[in-house]
Amino acid sequence: MKKFVNKPEDFVPEFMAGVLAANPDLLEGDLEFQMVKRKDRPVDNKVSIVQGSGSGHEPAHVMAVGPGMLDGACQGPVFAAPPVDACYETIKALATPAGVLVLVNNYQGDRMAWDTAVELAQAEDIKVEQFWINDDVAVKDSLYTVGRRGVAGNFFVMKACGAAAEEGKSLEEVMAIAEKVNNNVRTMGVALTSCIPPAKGTPIFDIADDEMEVGVGIHGEPGRERAKITNADDITKTLFDAVADDLPFNDGDRVALMVNGLGGTPPAELYVLYNKAAKLCEERGLTIARNYVGEYCTSLEMAGASITMLKLDADLEKYLDAPAETATRIF
Amino acid sequence: MATISLNTIEKGIDTTADTVIRNESYFSDLDGLAGDGDFGTSLATGFKVIKKDLPEIDKPDIGAMLLKLSMIVSKHVGGSSGPIWGTGFMKAALPSKGKTDLSLTEFAAMIGNAVDGIMARGGAQLGDKTLLDALIPVSEKLKEHAASGTDDLSAVLRDCAEIADKAVDETRKLVAHRGRASQVGERSADTPDPGIVAIATILADWCKANGVDYAPNAAEVQKASA
Repeated sequence: MKKFVNKPEDFVPEFMAGVLAANPDLLEGDLEFQMVKRKDRPVDNKVSIVQGSGSGHEPAHVMAVGPGMLDGACQGPVFAAPPVDACYETIKALATPAGVLVLVNNYQGDRMAWDTAVELAQAEDIKVEQFWINDDVAVKDSLYTVGRRGVAGNFFVMKACGAAAEEGKSLEEVMAIAEKVNNNVRTMGVALTSCIPPAKGTPIFDIADDEMEVGVGIHGEPGRERAKITNADDITKTLFDAVADDLPFNDGDRVALMVNGLGGTPPAELYVLYNKAAKLCEERGLTIARNYVGEYCTSLEMAGASITMLKLDADLEKYLDAPAETATRIF
Repeated sequence: MATISLNTIEKGIDTTADTVIRNESYFSDLDGLAGDGDFGTSLATGFKVIKKDLPEIDKPDIGAMLLKLSMIVSKHVGGSSGPIWGTGFMKAALPSKGKTDLSLTEFAAMIGNAVDGIMARGGAQLGDKTLLDALIPVSEKLKEHAASGTDDLSAVLRDCAEIADKAVDETRKLVAHRGRASQVGERSADTPDPGIVAIATILADWCKANGVDYAPNAAEVQKASA
């Protein structure tokens, strides 16, 4: 393992301390509970938007805290849900009479941790609700499993809910917006290489030089199939068709299109994928109202990418357009 | 009548910590086959704190000790294991509050309460290929022995270890219905569930620590308890 790590067990608190140090005006935190929040929140008349999940997906989740996005977030160890106490303290720190909305990616660990924390907070009369995000089309939805995973589509739920909350929408209204985004967003990813959680020190799965994992999860979970690698355009089409056929997206729809890097793929390669994906949108009569190319939800240093598409209406387009600021700055 | 003392349970927890810490990498490797590979690390993080704090924590009774363990888990254990083990310890603490010795009937009821709590927390049932596939039959076996009025706790422990050990192979072919492995569908078949392996290994180690002769059958349990 070659990584910028001091001690593996210090990896998460140290990177979070770095995020805080780099954003002294915007953020504050309580690293005992792996929690980061906006300095100027909570306020009484605005719903607080909160998220928390495993580490290793940066800039999700703590780096998505800022005006127009999340009000607070907590992180678990790499690829593992935060401890219950961290979730509970994060809800408490952002509690407001307007309420707290927790956006939970649909994994067993995250659901159980937030379920427990929400129950504890509600028992103390804190107004809080949770919403489960599940945009990954690689997973068959079923009553007999935990259901689809929450992956990069998560970004659009945060963005729209963040904007709606800034506008002063009620907890119930913001939840309805979360549901609308989740119902209209779909994602599928592909991995070319594995990744190495610092505490583990070895790759999370084995993959041959000429193979790719189609439909990979953001924790290296297996997807639809292990296939021989093909060229960029073919891979893009595989991902795009899986996404576009699932909702489905129809001729005339306005969409937001995201090509998300999983951490180890250079930006130029992501634009190769975007180039093809944009053409595929045109072929299907889809208008790209907004595009996103870069790293939004990663899997440490995994080489790979995911394609996310969100069907827009006037409301959602307005919320995506609204200003936002996060710890990830390029200017 | 045979009783199980606070001291015995404390020793059992200490042995459990050794089992979990020793298998940190191995349990994560097993989890990586169909899940996300965090199981060993998540659990070991909590049990390292438990191992260190256990001698010092205030232990007026069994319930108080278990409640304290539940709080340690809630603070330190991430992933699915935090809510599962935290709920388990908390629900076990309720019926054992104020008691320093448990009859086998009381012990079986305590384990039963913990198992019910874990089922409610994660929504899993028998056959979903989670650690409950080891815990539910163990809990039933305890109740059966308690009802028989036996005094032979060694035989009870051996039976429990055997039934959990069997669950590893009996569930190997199943497709997971809960947990992250459920989200990979058919691809979770033919992999052992790391939670079941952990319960079986803990019980095999309890046998060893208590001088009870038991040789595990499942390959993973043999490896983890070696």
